[in-house]
Amino acid sequence: MSWLAKMAGLAEVPVFVAFGEGAPADAASVLAKAPGLRVVETPRAAAILFVVGTVPKALLPQLHRLHDQLPHPRASALWHSRNELPGATRIEEIANISVLLRAIHRDLLVGSLKSEPDFLSDAPPNEWRGIGPHGQGGKGMMGGTPYGRPMAMTAADLRDGLDLDAYTADFGPFLPMLPAGLVLTLTLQGDTIQNVAVAHPPFETQEQRGWVLLNLLGLPALAERMLRATNIGNATVKRLIRLSGARAAIPEGLGRTHDGSDVRTRFDLLTGTSEPIFNLHVQQIGLDDLLIGLEWHEAMLVLNSFDNASLRAICANTSDPEPDTMAGGMDHGVHAGHMS
Amino acid sequence: MSVALTLMIMLVFMIVGMLIAAVLDTFFYRWLAGRTGGSLLTPLYAAAAEVSRQRISTEAPDRMNWFLSISGFLTLGAIGLAVVPLGPQSVVIGLETSVVLWGACESLVVVLVFLHGWSPNSPLALIGAYRYVAIGLPIMLLSMFVLIAAALPAESLDLRAIVTSQEDLWNVIRQPLGLPLFILLGLSLTLRGPLDYADSADLAGGTSIEDSGANRAGWQVARLSMLIGFSAVAASAFLGGYLGPVLPGVVWLAFKTLTIMTVIIALSHLLARMPVARMLGLIWKVLLPIAFLDLLLAGLVALA
Repeated sequence: MSWLAKMAGLAEVPVFVAFGEGAPADAASVLAKAPGLRVVETPRAAAILFVVGTVPKALLPQLHRLHDQLPHPRASALWHSRNELPGATRIEEIANISVLLRAIHRDLLVGSLKSEPDFLSDAPPNEWRGIGPHGQGGKGMMGGTPYGRPMAMTAADLRDGLDLDAYTADFGPFLPMLPAGLVLTLTLQGDTIQNVAVAHPPFETQEQRGWVLLNLLGLPALAERMLRATNIGNATVKRLIRLSGARAAIPEGLGRTHDGSDVRTRFDLLTGTSEPIFNLHVQQIGLDDLLIGLEWHEAMLVLNSFDNASLRAICANTSDPEPDTMAGGMDHGVHAGHMS
Repeated sequence: MSVALTLMIMLVFMIVGMLIAAVLDTFFYRWLAGRTGGSLLTPLYAAAAEVSRQRISTEAPDRMNWFLSISGFLTLGAIGLAVVPLGPQSVVIGLETSVVLWGACESLVVVLVFLHGWSPNSPLALIGAYRYVAIGLPIMLLSMFVLIAAALPAESLDLRAIVTSQEDLWNVIRQPLGLPLFILLGLSLTLRGPLDYADSADLAGGTSIEDSGANRAGWQVARLSMLIGFSAVAASAFLGGYLGPVLPGVVWLAFKTLTIMTVIIALSHLLARMPVARMLGLIWKVLLPIAFLDLLLAGLVALA
């Protein structure tokens, strides 16, 4: 074994987690407490794809695409999952997660475990068809979905009407900053959301996403501390959150709903820094009401400030935009999208 | 001291500094996360694991600029350290306008971080790139105000003269607003904590979302290089650089650089990041007027 492989074998195992249906609500907490593992935010930084729960059939192409984004040498593992992935290790006991994933990582580095090959062929998802539903579709060299890849097309910015490059694409279902399962078709001008449609709602779960909000606010160590704490009202965590200025960092009134609550008040609730003082009321509110006009970071804060049931109700309330308002015109069945 | 020896000391300073920075970063993260056990050498092992993995290319990337962004960022950190005097007669780049050269490095960081987001041909990376430019421009203005204020007592744009001008009183005491404002620039230049708008979690890693293998390790090393370069410049501009009793000048510089570095690493883990529009408002409406006040006060003191 080379000195490089020996050193690499001592590293924490970089794991990218893909959550499916029926994932345990405390899965993130279990992984945070597992010694020797590091959950990473992009598959490019991972050695192991860890599928927790069952990814439904409709989203399996995205899971396969996600798998192929991991660099070699790579492996995959399944926990609480009915999915079948060729070569994947199935884990039954919580206690075995860390031990098994570390052993897989070590074996990959020394070459005693073969790296998993691609599931998909290294080719565009569609043939080039010129102008048409899978072709250039726009004007000149812009717009459309050539080879199924969305391209930017000029459209009026909703704030000032300037013709800028609007870009429409699907985001999800495995992006770590989106609730698991959620696929949004977003039209962006820069990082501002111009239009939104729900392509797939989030999976049902009891998971609390206070730690995700902390992560989005640039406090990953505090997010991990919250996951490791036995109760969300842990006094040290609450004190550190107050000291960080996290509450003040969230704009007042962001993501306000009919009950008067906003991201700030929901953040307080999710992180245990205040008692519940409102009953969340999301009837007749859709994602289009909440997200259009927000910049990306604000939109992610809004999405993660709701509990799962409320977010699913909001997704159900979201009206589909007129096709011509989604610049580029997406074909959900075939385009590549951005799952991570 | 000969140029070769000065260059050798600078390289040792840079490499040891990067190792200490990586260990400090791990220590702060683990302490805040409430983790116990584990080796502080984790970043070294992680780097070895990264370079053992494949370097994946995306579809139709800008390969040349991808390489240029990583190598250029690493080089800018080294240039930052090269303009810093390690002792009374020892500096790798001895220019009468070394502050201007450092200012150019700061501006080029914005260009290179943008290229890092542009090159992979990936939307979230590109959003990180544009966002960094939006924040980078006003932050550079802030830096110019505080650096000119630090240069006023020396009546020179040479970092050597700025260090010498602090023999009686360090700039951190003479201009108390300067160092805190300059440290904010450091957070932005090193893509850390409250001013990391390029590689943040809301973009799943932003400009580095597509980095894998040696590219990922290279980008992290480049960020550490900028942290060392910036901390040494800040130590020289505000804490008297190599000045100090008994010990050799380079030891004093190392100690002061370590102090600045520790503050930056601690702040990056402790302070929350606000959405970009809110941060832009804070920079233009609050921080830039404070920086201008710092310059005004330094100017009045120089005239008095």
